[in-house]
Amino acid sequence: MSQPAPVVPELAGEDGYAWQRMHPVTPLLKGWKIVAAVLVVGFAQAGDDLRQAAELLGGSGWLVALGVLAAVALVGVVWSLIAWRATRFAVTDDAVHLRQGVVFRQQRQARLDRIQAVDVVQPLLARLVGLAELRLEVAGGSGSRVSLAFLREPEALALRAELLALAAGIRRPAAAPVAATAAGAAPAVPLEPVAAPAPAFETAPERVVYEVPMPRLLMSIALSGGTVSLVLVGVGIAVASALGAPIEATFSVLPMVFGLVGLFWTRLNGAATFRAATSPDGIRLRHGLTEARSQTLPPGRIQAVSISRPLLWARKDWWRVHVNVAGYAGEGSQRETETVLHPVATREEAMTALWLVLPDLGVDDPVAALTAGLDGVGDEGGYTAAPRRARWVDPVGWRRHGVLVTERALLLRRGRFWRRLDVVPHERTQSLGMAQGPIQRWLRVASVVAHSTPGPVAPRVEHLDQAVAARLLDEQAARARQARRSAGPEQWMKGS
Amino acid sequence: MASDDPFDLDLAWTPVSTRLAAARLTVLACWLVPLIAGGVLLAALTGVVGLWAIPAVLVALGGWVTWLVPRQVAAMRYAEREDDLLIRRGIMFRSLVVVPYGRMQYVDVSAGPLDRRFGIAKVQLHTAASSTDATISGLPPAEAARLRDRLASRGEARLAGL
Repeated sequence: MSQPAPVVPELAGEDGYAWQRMHPVTPLLKGWKIVAAVLVVGFAQAGDDLRQAAELLGGSGWLVALGVLAAVALVGVVWSLIAWRATRFAVTDDAVHLRQGVVFRQQRQARLDRIQAVDVVQPLLARLVGLAELRLEVAGGSGSRVSLAFLREPEALALRAELLALAAGIRRPAAAPVAATAAGAAPAVPLEPVAAPAPAFETAPERVVYEVPMPRLLMSIALSGGTVSLVLVGVGIAVASALGAPIEATFSVLPMVFGLVGLFWTRLNGAATFRAATSPDGIRLRHGLTEARSQTLPPGRIQAVSISRPLLWARKDWWRVHVNVAGYAGEGSQRETETVLHPVATREEAMTALWLVLPDLGVDDPVAALTAGLDGVGDEGGYTAAPRRARWVDPVGWRRHGVLVTERALLLRRGRFWRRLDVVPHERTQSLGMAQGPIQRWLRVASVVAHSTPGPVAPRVEHLDQAVAARLLDEQAARARQARRSAGPEQWMKGS
Repeated sequence: MASDDPFDLDLAWTPVSTRLAAARLTVLACWLVPLIAGGVLLAALTGVVGLWAIPAVLVALGGWVTWLVPRQVAAMRYAEREDDLLIRRGIMFRSLVVVPYGRMQYVDVSAGPLDRRFGIAKVQLHTAASSTDATISGLPPAEAARLRDRLASRGEARLAGL
């Protein structure tokens, strides 16, 4: 059903790449975004002063507002159309090339063996018309991703399969043209009968590992700090009006209420229909209510994992699993949805999520090691814990500070009420740090930090005995070096 | 250094140049001297006795900083090992960073106009983790260049992806 995007003929020869254009509906979808942004800004301004806004919109004000909006939409669409004409991409055996920009031209080339994650994102409108955006995350920090928006959905999926296969080190069948294989048709000439999986770039098979049931997600959002503040605001308003405060005063808290509702919506929208699966291409995450998002994290791209439990989830024993991926270093709100490996997990699911990242934890009894990491205090489960004298710097949670070194990873736990367990595979340790303040020095304790790529996980363990901390630092540096030497290749299908 | 110091790790630590202290104190002097002069002038012109407290506090601050900065600089040391570089600093708040050569993404060498006058440069190591704070200030330019080349060649030999 999918026709590959037409190769732009006049450009086919240039650089020897087969340049392709995005789908022609792209300008309409992108132009709409500008209108939406204007609307959001408008509403935010209006939210500050509802009465004035209502006065402005009274009478012929409506018409003016609509006219302005139409003009903005027109400008947006025309601008997007010009941008679309200048945008094209090409896929070669080892890189993706993207060309864009009208006034300032940019040609970006992303090496396939450096890809950290491949996402297919479908905002609501794109989803309705069957288009999707393909995002290649590379570890270049914020704004380094290659975004191919928009392609037809089957095309985007086929391209994703192709890119992942190439990135994994599977060679393109020599004679078969790109277009034919990308469309999923088996190459006519049988090449290398056994080595490559038969139709070269078919989507890797996947197996669903866990799903998040909607009731649990709703409950978990209800049990959050946002709800507490909302209830507090409600009580505050009730008390204020009971004491005879004018009703206008309640308007002043409206922006805050809007903000909280927005936060709930973001959480719900990002985590709804959350589903994780394994495939030879790595971990597949699918989620999103209006905006559907399908992430693929190839093996070895996850730098660190944290399993944490907020105070309000303690009774339910629910956990949140976050990951650090070098490509997801970007903007705040997206980081919030992209770096979640499990939005609300039972204890078993949290362990399964960790298993997805690290199938071998490097201990004989991983469940016991993790249980001790999630609940344990002191030296339970073989952890090296903070000494008793650390209670002077952390009287509440000193028993929880601890670290466990396994053959494959470093497990760091902390927090008595807000519990947290960070896991860093040895081969992913970037650099290590040790720090000691004056009080810690007096108590002869020190904190150890394992530096990881930017993300929600910042692995550290506080208040270890200083000699233990120094030894941990020294030995961990050696272990990380050792693990890197024996780590799998960047191209995960090539075999080590 | 006593060998029971956990930050020592029994390594041959190289201190940074003491000229870094001179450079830092010069920058501070550029701020403090005009402020003290202004304070003295204000107090002398208005004749309010209480106003002399301002220059007095500033002079005390200057004295404390003059005592502190050379000590801080003396505590900055680095050590090169076979596979990693170690950097330590601080007296009250001590820290130690271990950066494996294979983890380095790039190395910066920088020197401002004042640094150049004092004949020092700064070497900064960057890994994929933005939280890595591996900066060595106050290196003689020749040493900075040597370290940079050495880091670059070692990093290449031990290159690992992310």
